Amino acid sequence: MLVITRKPGDRIRLGDDITVTVLDVVGSTVRLGIDAPAEIPVYRHEVWEAIEAENRAAADSSVSQLKPPEDTP
Amino acid sequence: MHVNSTRFGEIEIRDDAIISFPEGLPGLDGERWALIASSEASPFFWLHSVDHAAIAVPVTSPWLFFSDYEVSVPEDAARALGLDNPGDAYIVCVVRASDEIQDFTINLAGPLVINAVTRTGRQVINAAGGYAVRHPLFSEVELNEVQPSSAPVPVTAAAE
Repeated sequence: MLVITRKPGDRIRLGDDITVTVLDVVGSTVRLGIDAPAEIPVYRHEVWEAIEAENRAAADSSVSQLKPPEDTP
Repeated sequence: MHVNSTRFGEIEIRDDAIISFPEGLPGLDGERWALIASSEASPFFWLHSVDHAAIAVPVTSPWLFFSDYEVSVPEDAARALGLDNPGDAYIVCVVRASDEIQDFTINLAGPLVINAVTRTGRQVINAAGGYAVRHPLFSEVELNEVQPSSAPVPVTAAAE
């Protein structure tokens, strides 16, 4: 892992095509501008975490829970 | 493929019914999956792992429940799936079942997009924003109003 210090307006270049710009810093919030080709997916990490958690929870579903009400005694 | 499912017992999955998720499904193991129907009348299928007998998630067509649902497939995913023709896309959403029907939820934020021609899929983050990972499933319709699911890829029947 690389740890570097940047100021508002500074940029980070990732490979040939991706530039991350620190737009501004207010308190504990950093705004980033990300320039990347359309084929590069950029996600907020917590969105993926939520989808992972939801998939795992869905995998705990049971067959009997999905039976139509008329099928259950 | 022969799968000894913990939910359905012995099931035989035809090679042409296997759907490949090269990136896997976030949080779950396995690249090869298949749609399993436990009842012809049900709006739900199970997306069952071919490689892990205990792993399966309920899925459904979101439009059976939310007729105005919108999906925007991110360009990187559309390219990776070779989705040149939107008509080839088969879209399902993961359902979290529960003992009480009012507690069922559906993941409208992360639909599964499947190229029905190549049977390759990927879970994407819906670029049509504002949808929840855990949306109440029966908020707009009752179960007895929902049509059975149909799919443009082969579905394996399981004994009930």
